[in-house]
Amino acid sequence: MEWQALWLSLRLSFWTTLILLAIGLPAAYWLTFSPRRWKFLVEALVALPLVLPPTVLGFYILLAIGPHSPAGRLYAALTGGMLPFSFQGLLVASVLYSLPFAVQPITSGFAAVDRKLIEASWCLGVSRAATFFRVIVPLSIPSIVTGMILSFAHTLGEFGVVLMVGGNLAGITRTVSISIFDDVQALNYSAAMHTSLLLLGISFLVLAATYGLRRRVWAVWPIN
Amino acid sequence: MADQLDVEVRKRHPGGPEIAAVLRLPLGKPSVMVLFGPSGAGKTTVLRLIAGLDTPDAGFIRCGHEVWYDGARGVRLAPQERRVGYLSQDYALFPHLTVRGNVAYGAHGHAIHEVHDLLARFELGEFADRYPRQLSGGQLQQVALARALAAQPRLLLLDEPLSALDAPTRLRVRGDLRQLLAGVQVPAVVVTHDRNEALALGDSIAIMIDGRLRQAGAVESVFDCPADADVAAAVGVETICPARVISRSAGLVTVEIAGARLVAVDTAGGSSDVFVCIRAESVAIERNPSGNPTSARNRLPARIVLVIPEGPLARVTLDCGFRLTAMVTRQSEEEMHLCEGQEVTAVVKATSIRIVPRVY
Repeated sequence: MEWQALWLSLRLSFWTTLILLAIGLPAAYWLTFSPRRWKFLVEALVALPLVLPPTVLGFYILLAIGPHSPAGRLYAALTGGMLPFSFQGLLVASVLYSLPFAVQPITSGFAAVDRKLIEASWCLGVSRAATFFRVIVPLSIPSIVTGMILSFAHTLGEFGVVLMVGGNLAGITRTVSISIFDDVQALNYSAAMHTSLLLLGISFLVLAATYGLRRRVWAVWPIN
Repeated sequence: MADQLDVEVRKRHPGGPEIAAVLRLPLGKPSVMVLFGPSGAGKTTVLRLIAGLDTPDAGFIRCGHEVWYDGARGVRLAPQERRVGYLSQDYALFPHLTVRGNVAYGAHGHAIHEVHDLLARFELGEFADRYPRQLSGGQLQQVALARALAAQPRLLLLDEPLSALDAPTRLRVRGDLRQLLAGVQVPAVVVTHDRNEALALGDSIAIMIDGRLRQAGAVESVFDCPADADVAAAVGVETICPARVISRSAGLVTVEIAGARLVAVDTAGGSSDVFVCIRAESVAIERNPSGNPTSARNRLPARIVLVIPEGPLARVTLDCGFRLTAMVTRQSEEEMHLCEGQEVTAVVKATSIRIVPRVY
């Protein structure tokens, strides 16, 4: 079994989840509360990775971050490195690929917050930003945690996008799912089986935690 | 003009009726204005416009020297800048915060120190560490009021503050609320559709029907002297009948309703087509269909159509050629053995009949 690949996948999932938390909260806030009519277009854009084949998504990301693209040139100018076939490139791809898994649960959580509580906060003189952190986020904790867990699990299991953008470089871009593919190609079934079983276990635990948490909507209210 | 809340707004929700309201509320002394009207009249919308939670289509809202909204000049202050204590019908307490957390939520600066005093004043000290879901309806209302006052508002807006409570609690809390509103130095606008609440809480009243402000003034005078039949119906006058003026003399007017004649104080302003408005508690019932009409009293032969017990009272529907509703005590109902189909005499004082012009 490839511990290096597993460690890489966990690192990738961790950073992807963290970045998605930072992007997901404001994105979900905008999607929930913006009065813009055309926000359904943004909603569709965010949901695109759910239906797009990972190869298609990976291909476009590869083009977008390639050395001849504006983003690629900017990155090269800033860091001297290249995004494709690097951990950072993989991170960019993972964030885009898991975006709906973070944004959608958080959006539905925000939408479920009673509008009157938000208005009560405004009338008490508390700014919109402070209301977000003092009312909306605390009341959406289960949804936010769900979004984070799903992002983590989804990144852990991604394959197609990783292969397109990162290739298969040991310790840099060879994630656990690619190592399984490699093992099977090399007819090393026992290693593939071990890794697969581990991934299955982790995924099940993560999902069980998610659904357990969802059931307890009242979990935000302390029990005494 | 300076020290008053000055509201003149129009607002149309998509698919709804247009709401148009003109309100003046003095801010100098603590005064309570009741915004009264049937459900769907637009009362809550007016409160939300004043609080800044909705934007009017046109008009202005001024509070003292501050302009909160001016459609023509494009001024619109955010709710945060208006310092209004707004209580929605279900109080909207934060479920993730304790009573103390809720009350302290909008307090800043030295007002933080007053949170403790407020908790004590509302007798919430022992509940300070509980969560809203652990409190009764009356306590929730107290927390919501304390929370609003902790933010030091210059105006309180209460949307049906008692409607979420059960009947016995409502009676008790109504008394407390009256005392509280008189005690705090903050003027208030209270929305209600309950006549007893309006009488108990209000110094002045504004009647709103179908999005329009129809009559405003002191509570008693509006209830006793509705300006037209719609207002009379809104304030709960039981009998409202179209009638024709037959003669006028010495401030009294004689009208005819479906063959029956009534003498009343003339308040119709010269109209010959009028509405007769009679409160049920102004109608007395006499068992024997006898006696002569005097100038002060109208005596009408009547037949009882329906008797409905209402707590210590009974509501009696009479047929005197037109339908007349009377309210009698259960005791007199039993003493007179009132029953359906019985012939009685309905007695109404001329001063208890309100005549309003019929306008088409």
